[in-house]
Amino acid sequence: MRFVAFALVTVLALGGLTTRLFAMQLAGTPARVPAAAVAPAEVGRQIVTEPVPSTRGLIYDRAKRLLVENVPTFTVSVRPADLPQSQRPEVIGRLAGLLDIAATTITETIDGAIGSRFDPVAIAHDVPEQTARLISEDSLTLPGVEVSVDARRDYLDGPLFTQLIGWTGSIDATAYASLKGQGYLPDDRIGKAGVESVYESALRGVYGVREVEKDGTGRTLRVLSTTAAPQAGESLILTIDAREQKLAQQALDWGLKLSGARRGAIVVENPQTGEILAMVSAPTYDANLFARGISTADFQKLLTNTDLPLMNHAIGDQQPPGSTYKLVTGSGVLADKKLGATETVLSKPYVQLGSTLFWEWNHAGWGPLDIKDGFAHSSDTFFYQMAQRLGIARLAYWARQYGFGQPTGIDLPAEAGGLVPTDQWKLETLGQTIFPGEVLQAGIGQGYDLATPLQLVNAYAALANGGTLYQPQVVREIVSPDGTVVRPFAPKVIRKIAAPSWVFTTMREAARRVITSRHTYNFVDLPIVVAGKTGTAEFGLRDKNGVLPYHNWFAGFTPKNVWTKDNPTGDVSKPDSQLAFAVFIYDAGTLGNTATEVAKYYLQLHYGIKQDLRLPQLLERTNFYEGGR
Amino acid sequence: MGVLRVERDAPTGIAARVGGVAWRDFDVQLFVYAVLLATLGLTMAYSNTAAQLGGDVAQGGTTFVRGLVWAVVALVAFAAATAFDYTWLKAFSWPIYLVNIALLVASLLLGSTDAVSARWVSIFGLQFQFSEIAKILMIVVLARYLADHDRRLDSLPAIVGACLIVIPPWVLVLMQPDLGTSLVFIAVLVGMLFMGGASLRWLGALAAATLAALPLVWTYVLHDYQRERLTSFLDPAKDPLGAGFQLLTAQHAVSDGGLLGAGLTNGAQSQSNLLPVQATDFVFAVLAEELGFIGCLVVFLLFAALLWRILTIAWRSRDPFGLMVGAGIASMILFQIVVNVGMVLGVMPITGIPLPFITHGGASLVSIAIGLGILQSIAMRQQRAEW
Repeated sequence: MRFVAFALVTVLALGGLTTRLFAMQLAGTPARVPAAAVAPAEVGRQIVTEPVPSTRGLIYDRAKRLLVENVPTFTVSVRPADLPQSQRPEVIGRLAGLLDIAATTITETIDGAIGSRFDPVAIAHDVPEQTARLISEDSLTLPGVEVSVDARRDYLDGPLFTQLIGWTGSIDATAYASLKGQGYLPDDRIGKAGVESVYESALRGVYGVREVEKDGTGRTLRVLSTTAAPQAGESLILTIDAREQKLAQQALDWGLKLSGARRGAIVVENPQTGEILAMVSAPTYDANLFARGISTADFQKLLTNTDLPLMNHAIGDQQPPGSTYKLVTGSGVLADKKLGATETVLSKPYVQLGSTLFWEWNHAGWGPLDIKDGFAHSSDTFFYQMAQRLGIARLAYWARQYGFGQPTGIDLPAEAGGLVPTDQWKLETLGQTIFPGEVLQAGIGQGYDLATPLQLVNAYAALANGGTLYQPQVVREIVSPDGTVVRPFAPKVIRKIAAPSWVFTTMREAARRVITSRHTYNFVDLPIVVAGKTGTAEFGLRDKNGVLPYHNWFAGFTPKNVWTKDNPTGDVSKPDSQLAFAVFIYDAGTLGNTATEVAKYYLQLHYGIKQDLRLPQLLERTNFYEGGR
Repeated sequence: MGVLRVERDAPTGIAARVGGVAWRDFDVQLFVYAVLLATLGLTMAYSNTAAQLGGDVAQGGTTFVRGLVWAVVALVAFAAATAFDYTWLKAFSWPIYLVNIALLVASLLLGSTDAVSARWVSIFGLQFQFSEIAKILMIVVLARYLADHDRRLDSLPAIVGACLIVIPPWVLVLMQPDLGTSLVFIAVLVGMLFMGGASLRWLGALAAATLAALPLVWTYVLHDYQRERLTSFLDPAKDPLGAGFQLLTAQHAVSDGGLLGAGLTNGAQSQSNLLPVQATDFVFAVLAEELGFIGCLVVFLLFAALLWRILTIAWRSRDPFGLMVGAGIASMILFQIVVNVGMVLGVMPITGIPLPFITHGGASLVSIAIGLGILQSIAMRQQRAEW
């Protein structure tokens, strides 16, 4: 009986399985697998939805000159599973010849690849188009070899715009984690510096989705349908004028080369709008290095370079601004009515505080000076007394009014905020209040004062436009792929500086007198009206002669009525300037003020002045405080 | 013991003893079905190896070559077990039981710790699962016990006694953790009790008790991944890229097979190595895809024929021990077929139970060969006793 029962169970069980098998294999019942669920399970086999990268937006200068475009780049890879062992030496040999890579290197790359034998192993990136086409046409004799095309950023004038435009690079783990939700892929590229990073979301566009049929090993057989077409990214039109940028770079490079300094920046701004027309940082490098995939050795070189090429010195380098800062002290003391517009104050060889002597820079002084002459001679003792009249709190107030001590908010990453010392700040960081001597130093842009070239040009732009502090911008418009303006340009006002307009008029005239007093040598001989202020700021440690190294600054502006022939009196009373500029030379160490010479050369180039008033002899590397007294 | 004693020839060596039994009673059919099934298994090994290596199948260390080596080992084991007088097994059943426990403990201590469980032990470079051998040894021990209690299985103590024998090795196997084999133990126990004539009333009570204990086992004994695998068959689409992935891919492969199959080494799912553990637990999916409905039917028929032969041998055995061994082996094979194939077809939960002969596992093949060898030994030594 029990044998029969067992046999029955056996027959029933096998019969049941057979029925089930029949239903699945012949009757076409798709088992209990819902249709929707099949697709993901078939990843790697048949129909796969995959993202379609969008075209990244382009970048133009303000005159619509193309600065960044996308170019195809070819990658040659080998799928080991498709490369028969018997043909391997031959195929690798041919590849070696075509790509000019050692056969052993190719073998090592293939054999060293981890992962499935069906995954393509990249052998060569950025292969010349000619070679790529040759290889893909020869696919019959080169089994297992594949050529893929990707878009790469091409920075047309790489080193000139690198600090501004930045570059794209592979997304890193932390960025990916936060951007995954927005459709970023683990092997995506993302803007990593400059406007490429700040305007990433606009430039990127929206990735599309398509369905493709793939075989089990991941090879795409054909595209079935495009579920969502990719939307190209929006393009950027910079406020930068490529021509101005080139001229600015030419001037800066000349000054750096002659003076032997290696680090510096020049920023040009439209004072009426806050648009940055040129922004050059030295030393620079080529963004295309990153776009092509920088080698570790090259990247190490950039990282360890003590002149910090990866930093945009125009916005990231905060240094004592020196005498250019006397704009703050002068404006403040006038606005607070601690000094009359025509009141004179005695400049002297030194100002004594207790037992400490605070020297005039020429150790002599000029006798009684009003604000304009004090500014023109850059009299330290005059401004020591102004700082004493203001006190540290009011001095800091006026510095912040001019935009010092906080980032300007420019649309570029990694902007430094500078430093405006106050009692509270010093108490928090150093545990003491400001000493009286430090008030004097703060009044002439020394001591704790720190500013970036951008903050300086923006402050002088505010002076030039009659007291409006604009937020500087480098991107003028965002334009959709079809050319319509998505975001038009709008100037952004940070604040109206809380001083009456006569204060700015007076200070503009004071800045004009800096030029006319020949404090800046032959600058006045240019056929244009320029106003500005030099700065020399000590920093760091004394050398063996007890002398501190120093930076050179020059910040200024030109009135709208710029040509001397139209404006013989050199009138700068109107707040109509179209051009403000600042030059910064780190560790200048020259006889004259390198920054002033660079600014002069830039203005010559900008206004197309045939006359060359450059004074190269002033850029000999010596010591300002020894030789130039 | 109530067992017919077998008269032995003069012990003048193995050859004399082996030669002494009636080789004409060797069950050729049983042997042929088994060899055919094993050959099918090797064929699938060939196909899988081709999937992994794309051509060069004969190089050492591949699934196929390892399968060949194991087939030879299994043949030798089969021959040895056939030649060996099974009555000695009865005499040695308690030592065998201790050896069984020792092996399982050793396997727990020595087993490789990768792949979560300790069930694999490496011998001479060949991976070996002791729990497979444990199943056969368990059947022998249980057969001895049940044969001793022949016709007295109506009583609860006898049934509980059988359960008590099974529990220690069962717990050890579950600790490895090898959920599949532990289930086979239970199936074998039930099958043997049933065939041994145990009271259906008590069997029913036992089944009810087991059902009542299930929630406890679910909560306290099973690991998370085991629970996940067990339930994923209910709704594989719930987690199509996780636990349900094997199932969905397997079912897809089966559906793709159609009547005649894609042909060996041509399965789209199988050849792209998409099936996890396709050489072992899911080998039937590959078979279904590549050999189709007809191929599967052949496999089922071969299994049916094999089971029929096993039951016949058990039926003919005048020896309750022989009957019990046959019942145990038949239960084991039937249970493994149903659970493994059912799993691939999506009607059974995923448990790591091999498909006899077809799954590429040396231990599984060798232990079945030993089991069949014992059966042959039983078949050959019945007639003689009759004389």
